[in-house]
Parts: sequence; structure tokens; C-alpha cells
Amino acid sequence: MLKRLLLILGAEILVLAVLASVPLMVDNSFVLGLLTLLAIYGILLIGLDVTVGYLGQVNLAQAAFLGLGAYAAGLAVTRFGTGMVPALAAAAAVGCLFGGVLAFPALRLEGPQFALSTLSFMALTTTALNELESITGGAQGLQVPRPPLAGLVLEAKGFYWLCLLVLVIVWLAMSNLLSSQWGRAFEALRDSPIATDAMGIGTHRHKAVAFTLGSGLGGLAGGLYAFNFQFLQPQVFVYELMVILLLGVVLGGRKSLWGALVGAAIIVLLPNLLSNRVLFQLFSGIGFLLALVAGIRGIVRKSTGPFRALAPVIAMGLLTAGGMVISNTEDWRKAIFALMLFAVMVGLPEGLMGFASRFLTRLFRIESCPLPEPSRLDAVLPVKETGSGSLLDIRELRLHFGGVRAVDGVTMTVRRGSVHGLIGPNGSGKSTLVNVVSGLYAPTSGDIELHGKPLPRGSLFRTARMGISRTFQNLQIFSELTALDNVMVAMKGICSTPLPLVLLGLARGTERRIQTDALALLEMVGLGTEACTPSRDLPHGSQRFLEIARALARRPDLLILDEPAAGLAPPDVARLLEVIRGIHGRGMTIILIEHHMDVVSRLCDIVTVLDYGKVIAEGKPDDVKRNPAVVKAYLGGADGPGEPGLVSACEAAPASS
Amino acid sequence: MNEAVIAQMVASGALMGMVYALVAYGFQLTYATSKSINFGQGELVMVSAFICLTLTNLGLPYWLMVPAGLLCGALLGLFVERAAVRLALEQQSEGWILMTIILGLLFFSAAENIWGRDDRPFPTPIPADPIRVFGISVTPVELSVAIGVLCIMALIELFKRKTLLGRAFEAVAADRDAAELMGISATGTVMLSYGISGMVAALAGILVAPITTVGPTMASALVLKAFSVAVVAGLDSGFGVVVVGLVLGALESLTSYYVGSGWREAPGLVLLILALAVRPAGVFGKAAIRKV
Repeated sequence: MLKRLLLILGAEILVLAVLASVPLMVDNSFVLGLLTLLAIYGILLIGLDVTVGYLGQVNLAQAAFLGLGAYAAGLAVTRFGTGMVPALAAAAAVGCLFGGVLAFPALRLEGPQFALSTLSFMALTTTALNELESITGGAQGLQVPRPPLAGLVLEAKGFYWLCLLVLVIVWLAMSNLLSSQWGRAFEALRDSPIATDAMGIGTHRHKAVAFTLGSGLGGLAGGLYAFNFQFLQPQVFVYELMVILLLGVVLGGRKSLWGALVGAAIIVLLPNLLSNRVLFQLFSGIGFLLALVAGIRGIVRKSTGPFRALAPVIAMGLLTAGGMVISNTEDWRKAIFALMLFAVMVGLPEGLMGFASRFLTRLFRIESCPLPEPSRLDAVLPVKETGSGSLLDIRELRLHFGGVRAVDGVTMTVRRGSVHGLIGPNGSGKSTLVNVVSGLYAPTSGDIELHGKPLPRGSLFRTARMGISRTFQNLQIFSELTALDNVMVAMKGICSTPLPLVLLGLARGTERRIQTDALALLEMVGLGTEACTPSRDLPHGSQRFLEIARALARRPDLLILDEPAAGLAPPDVARLLEVIRGIHGRGMTIILIEHHMDVVSRLCDIVTVLDYGKVIAEGKPDDVKRNPAVVKAYLGGADGPGEPGLVSACEAAPASS
Repeated sequence: MNEAVIAQMVASGALMGMVYALVAYGFQLTYATSKSINFGQGELVMVSAFICLTLTNLGLPYWLMVPAGLLCGALLGLFVERAAVRLALEQQSEGWILMTIILGLLFFSAAENIWGRDDRPFPTPIPADPIRVFGISVTPVELSVAIGVLCIMALIELFKRKTLLGRAFEAVAADRDAAELMGISATGTVMLSYGISGMVAALAGILVAPITTVGPTMASALVLKAFSVAVVAGLDSGFGVVVVGLVLGALESLTSYYVGSGWREAPGLVLLILALAVRPAGVFGKAAIRKV
């Protein structure tokens, strides 16, 4: 733990010290200009990484936010004669404002639609900056004098230190935010928006905050950009710049502040690389050799497919060959960016820093994930008085999809502290019923009440907040998070610390508490030793247990388990029985959908049987098994002897998954 | 007088709108099979037009140049699928968005350097003298755009409905997994859709080039509007793109007349953002049910 912290902190301080002291040692305006740009692009890319890395959405608008911020700062100075600090604040505010406005429609969007709306926003911004000549000066450009900072006239050196200071502040604030519950929520949202809502984390709020914040940083960087160049033209903030910015984030490494800094360094150095032919040939040659070595290794070890091994080699080969033949590398710069990006996207999707961090972790033998002692389970999941009476009341619930009556007038009551089984043949409406109860679908008609209060209709998020928590038949884990983070992100009381305090780093105490609590829950389901494993690498059975632990992190009043035994090996089924008994022993009310009849018989106090969306039987497991209507539903119309019952029927029917 | 001007504006704008509809239709084809679209589709339009121009300059007659151009477009489409889309689809990631943007940039840069940055005229045997229909003057070139667009869309729809390969296409669009279980190669069908989409892009290039002239940037505005049309109409409605294309084309020419030519891209962009905010599935699209 200490070693890891010291190394990271040491590296940060070392780089900062070097960057800050360069102007004292070298008196070269060219170098100073590059470093200033490095700091500005660093801020810009950290902002872009929030959407591209953490939210996992392709954001094509960051160049527009840079432009908007630059013009906002420029106009604040030229029109209103403000000083440096108010102008920069205005730039960041304009970034946030437009980011917030765009986030509103973009909130509901995923993937290509999100990319398209940001692309349109960028095109619209360029049009507006060009056409609103009376304000922006249009294509003629805008002269921006560098205003004094609190009465102090900044020369090149002073301005560089200011940029560096802003970068450091942004760096610290974002590292606080991204290592907190907020950062985890951003990532959860990327992996499964449905589960994010079902865990009461809330997709919309987090998406909006992430995007607004990233845009605000874009605006802030724009302000510094304006005062650095002191001349603005709309045609700078266009498609090509956006591609370069994406190149920076992808090549540097997503989901990493260091990656953003490395990416910024690459962006800053690129134009110089392109203008010097010898240097360009050298670098493209090195890139080609690296791709070749990696490709051959990949093929020999069979760790990558032929395309992933060959495509980067071909791309870098083209780049090298082109560098030999073509004299005017400047003219081909778009193709050069394209080939480099292509090679990196295919060959090194984790980016330079992703690769480097893996390498360094091995080199210094850092434990990847130091863990504290888990909390006592009683503190995390206190034993509740079960009491009596009903917890959940469903009355005349219907859900029709066109002509299909998936749920057709279901009335049932779940008693406090019971394990209530829900069974029925495939397609009988069990999963649809719990999907309505948990808020994924809005019912066509009927009432659902928890504690006698009506549940929100058709909102996973608000239902989760009312105290219902669920697992999914088709797993919805946050696959890029570790097992521990999966549980932590769902912990009730998430985001109880206000955002500004999180940015200032004042959420560490809660953070620690959440971590130990989550560990306790992982131990309870038997995943204590897997806490640091990325959840996508867990075997299927463990992922099912992980979903249970995550659902418990909500400390729900009602836990819905949707076929938890589906696809489990027999020893895991036995463990599942233990786990569910343990949870039930703490007074938790559980709805259990299950195909394994032995699991149902051993766990459930009461069983409701559905067929064609209707309740056909209800009672103790053993009674229900002998109910003629139930046997008929499972086996079809034959009037078989009542005795063989459901056990054999269930074994005959393949479990749906 | 004023009404006549407006009618003229609406008519010529709507005819241009048919090109947006055609490019948007190309997005729909690939979206149906793979839920992905080529963000560099505009560059396919442009490169195909340049190739056709070169073929014509080499002495190929117009009616031979057209099929040759379509073939080149299809090949380019297949290349995009292989290089940029397939890996991302296999990994079920959205990497294809960036990858197709990257390929588009590569095509753009190549065209810029091979054919030059200047706009060049595109020869066509169709006469350019305007004819008057109900007091509105239309050039045969503009009419050929509308006819060409409707013909190719009708042909492709017929192909999808009447041939075995077309049924396979529809099957993969409806349910990829089920189609694979029935022995239809989903990868092959995605390839097919990218091939046809590339062909559609090439046709758009051939049809629009006589009007816009040929240059590296000829399609960069076009493709933005095609995005708007596809999204506003819904990514699964072939009928919708024609309607929205006509409306957007008309709206745009009115905007450039009344507000200023610099703003002519604005209505499409605003419509796109609004449509995504209000009705993400599009005006003519079907909203998907969230499944778990």
C-alpha cells in the first residue's frame, strides 16, 4: 500500500518539479511555448477522458468546447475588460453551460447517437463562430490581449506557471473525483446502464455531471488557449483538431490522468515531428518495428487474432514507406494521424499508459490492490426483526405488449421475512412480473405497494431507491470494474458527500467505510479472495454470486433473485443455498424465481405458480408440486398420475437462461 | 412573385434532399444488420466520384463508367467493413465509431493529395438546360438525381424482399442470433450490407457530382445532413428518409435564402439534436423495448 502510494506520489511530484523548473534552466521561448501548450492540452484531454474513457462514449464536441471557452474568455477581456481570473471563470462557465445544454438531449443517448449529437454540436458551433461576425469577428479572427492577473502583468514564463498551476489543480480535483464513488458510477454506467439504474445509482445524473464537467474543463482550457495565442479564428476548432484530440486520449491511454498528460505531450510534439522529415522517418520506423515485434509475438503466442496482429504492422508499414517516398509530410498529415490512430486502436487499445502501468506494476512488484480488514457483517447487514404482515402487495397487475398478455391480472402478497418462490413454465411471465415490480416496465394496469405505499411505475431508479433490489437472469455486472468496485458502487449512501467536497478530496473517510463494508458482503457470498479480480474475468458462477452481493449492498427491504441458480455447477448450487439461507436468516424478504425445484423446495416458505401470465396455484412447495393444475401446466394436457409431481417435470424441461 | 420564389426554393432544395435521403439510406442498410454505421460515408461518396472522374478522363463512356464506379464503391464499402468494423463488432464494442472516422480521414487525405484540393467539374450526358414544370424551373440533372435515388432504393428493397440473399439480409436484421442458428452467416450478411451501402454511396457521388462539382470537401457537409436525415427519420425506416430528406432539403434552401448562406447547415444540425432529445428512435422509427 505504502509502496504504491509513494511511487505514484513520487512520480507526480518529480514530473511537476521538472516541468516547473524548466523555464529557470532553459531560456528558450520555443520550448516554453511547447510546455505551455502541453499544460493547456493536458487540461483539455483530462476533460475529454471523462466522457471517452470513463463514460465510454465517443465525444466529438471537445474541440467545440475549447473554441467556445476561448471565445468566451476573449470576449470577456475585449468587451468587458475583465482580468485574467474572471475571464477564465467565464470560459469554464460557458463550457459547463453548453455542456449542460447538450447533455440534456444527449443524456438518453448511447453509442452512435451520442457521437452524432456531439458531432452536430461541433458543426453548429463552427457555423455560429463563423457567422456571428458582429460578436466573434467571424473568419477575420479576434485579437485577445493577455489581461493582468490580479494586477500582475504576465510574461511568457509567468503565464506558463499559471497554466501549470491550473493543470495541477485540475489534476488533483479530478483524481479525487475519479477515485470516488462518482468515478465508479461513471464506469458502471458505461458497462450496464440498466444495472446502474436498478442499483439506485442513477444514470442520468452521473452522465450529466460527467459530461458537464468534461465540457467545463474544455472551456477552461479554451480560456488559457486564448491568452496563450492571443488571436482566435473559428477554423482552428474543427474536425481535424477533434481527431487529433481523440488521438491524444487513445494513444495516451484512456481512464488515466497520466494518459491524458502523455497524450497532450504527443499532440504538442506532432507538428514538429511532421515538419522534420528525418525525425519523422526515424519515429515511423521505430513504430513499425515495435508493431512488427508485437505482431509476431502475438501470432507466435496465439494471444491475438491474425487481424489484430497484422493490421497495425500494415498501417505502420504504410506510414514508414510513405515517409520514404513522400517529401511533403505536412500535406499528408491527416493520413498520418489516421494511420497512427488506426494502429494504436487495433494494436494497443489500452494506450501507452495502460501498457506502461501494467509493465511498471510488474517491475516494482506492486500489489495491485491492497485491502483493509472487512467490516463486521452485523454492521453492514444488521439482523432485522421480521415482524409479520405483508411487505409487497400486487393487485390485478397487467402488462400487455400489443396482443400478448405477458402479465394478466396477477394478485399476490409477499409476507415480511419470507422467501417467496415464483415458478412456472418458460414464458409464463415470471421474469416479466419482476421486471414490472422492479420498475423496468410500466404496468398496463394494476397496483403494486411496498409497505402499503405505491411503487413508482416504470422507473428502475426510483423503485431501487424505495428499497427493492434485484439480480438479473442475464447477468448485468459492471464488467470492467473489479468485484469489489462492483459492490462498492452500489452501496447505499453513495454520493452522500456533495460534489465540491469530493473534488477537494474530503470524501476519503466515507470511501474507506464503503470499502470495508463491501468486503464484508463479498466474504459473505464467498468472493472475499476475488475482490481485486476484474469482474469480467470471474467464472460465470462467481458472477452470479457477485450480483447477489451487489444487490445486498443496497440494504434493500425486498431482494429479488431472478434465477440465481441458472447455469451453476452442483457445488455452486449448494453454496447458493447456504448464501440465501444466510441472507434470509438476517430477516431479509426474498422473491426467488427458480427452475431448480429442489432449490425452491428447500428455501421457499411459499410458492406462487404462474402460467400464461396468470396465477394458477399458491401454497407450500410440497402442496404446489402435487397440484393438478401445476402438473398440467408443466407437462401439457395429459391427465398423468398426480404423484410424480413437478420434480421430474422440471428435470425434463431445460432451464431457461 | 414571392410565392414563386419560395416554390422554386422548396423544389430545388427538395431535389437536393433526395441525395441526403440516399446517403442516409446507406446508413440504414448497415445499421439494420450490424447496428453500426460508417461515419466516413461522405468520404466514400467523394472518393467514388473522383474515381468516376478519372475513369471518364481515361475515355470510358458514361454508361460504362457508372457500373464501374458502383463496383468501386462496393469494394470500398467492403474494405471499411473488414478494416474498421468487424473487429469492433466481434468485441461487441463501439470502437467502430472511431475506426470509421479514422478511415474516412485516411480517404480524405489520400484524395486531397492524389486528386488535388481544387473542385473540378463532373461531365454528364444529361443536359443542364432548365425545363419549366408548373412555373418552376428544374434542370434535367436535378431530375435525374431524384429518379436515380428512387430507382436504386426500389431495386434494393425489391432485392431484400424477393431474393433468397435478401431474405437472409432481413433475417439477420430481425434477429442476428436466430439467423445464425438457421445457418445464415451474420458476418457475410454484414459484409453484404456494407458492400451495398458503399455502392449506394458511389451512386450518390455520381448523381450529385454534376451539381456540386468534385472536390475533397464535396461530401463533408452532405454527410452531416445525411446523418440528420437518418436520425430524424429513424434508423430503420426507408420510407422515412425520403420524406425527411425532402423536408430538410427544402428547409435548408429557405434558410440560406432568408437567413444567410452561411447558416444553411444549421437546420439539419438543430433538427438532429432536437430529434434525439425528443424522439431518439426517430419520427418514423420504432422504439425498442429494453430487455434484460
